Amino acid sequence: MSPDVFLFWFLAILTVISGLMVVLMTNPVFSALSLAMTMVLIGALFVTLNATFLAGVQLIVYAGAVMVLFVMVLMLFDLKNEIYAFTRGKISGAFKVGSVGILAGLVIGSIGLTASTLLQSSTAPLVSMSGDTTKDLGKILFSQYLLGFEALGALLLIVAVGAVALARSKGGTHAK
Amino acid sequence: MRARKVAHMPSNFILEVGLPHYLVLSSLLFVTGMAGVLLRRNAIVMMMSIELMLNAVNLSFVAFSRYLGLLEGQVMVFFVMTIAAAEAAVGLALVVAIFKRFKEVNIRFFEHLKG
Repeated sequence: MSPDVFLFWFLAILTVISGLMVVLMTNPVFSALSLAMTMVLIGALFVTLNATFLAGVQLIVYAGAVMVLFVMVLMLFDLKNEIYAFTRGKISGAFKVGSVGILAGLVIGSIGLTASTLLQSSTAPLVSMSGDTTKDLGKILFSQYLLGFEALGALLLIVAVGAVALARSKGGTHAK
Repeated sequence: MRARKVAHMPSNFILEVGLPHYLVLSSLLFVTGMAGVLLRRNAIVMMMSIELMLNAVNLSFVAFSRYLGLLEGQVMVFFVMTIAAAEAAVGLALVVAIFKRFKEVNIRFFEHLKG
């Protein structure tokens, strides 16, 4: 087993376990910590896919900024272990788990059925993607996708103002 | 022919990592996040599960970009990350507004929002 393959399986198993822990932990702070671990592991998987710049952005934006936001809000609330952490209805819960299982089966089954063609086209990636892709990514982002990039900047400004306005609101129509 | 393919599939699947591996991992993470959104009652944990789903989609974008040799997938990951950050900010502001009124972030209090 080559180091690349071993690294992939190591990261994949850890990612799935920490992803499950996000959902299964009843204490929200533990969920947040497992989510941070999942983000870091996905960043490592980006490195194995030669997307080093995206891995850095993943660490800074997700594992840094977004997780700090989540943990700060959790600390504001001072939540303990919850009594009703999960949905209560047994039958509706069974339906939800069943629908999720069916979705997983459908997706993984379809990937499995097409795996032979996917592997054929995928075992020999193109030469242009084998090295570092940061330079090409910057070129394409600031030429072909410049409009979308600027629109995202405007969106972030609007969202920052809107988040402050929402957090200061006193409950809308129920305000006393 | 089909049986032979299935028979020698396992060792090949473990020893040779390619696009299907990343896609299966990504779909497992997505389904985990979806189960979290459906099953958990805490609004913050539901938003964490949404972040998990977005991350799974990012992973499949990057995997396709790597194995098809197209950089557009990585550009799309930038957009998804920005939208995710914006969504987290607005969602957490809503949760703070709910908590200020009900002293609780359980999802059953959100139904009181309707006028």
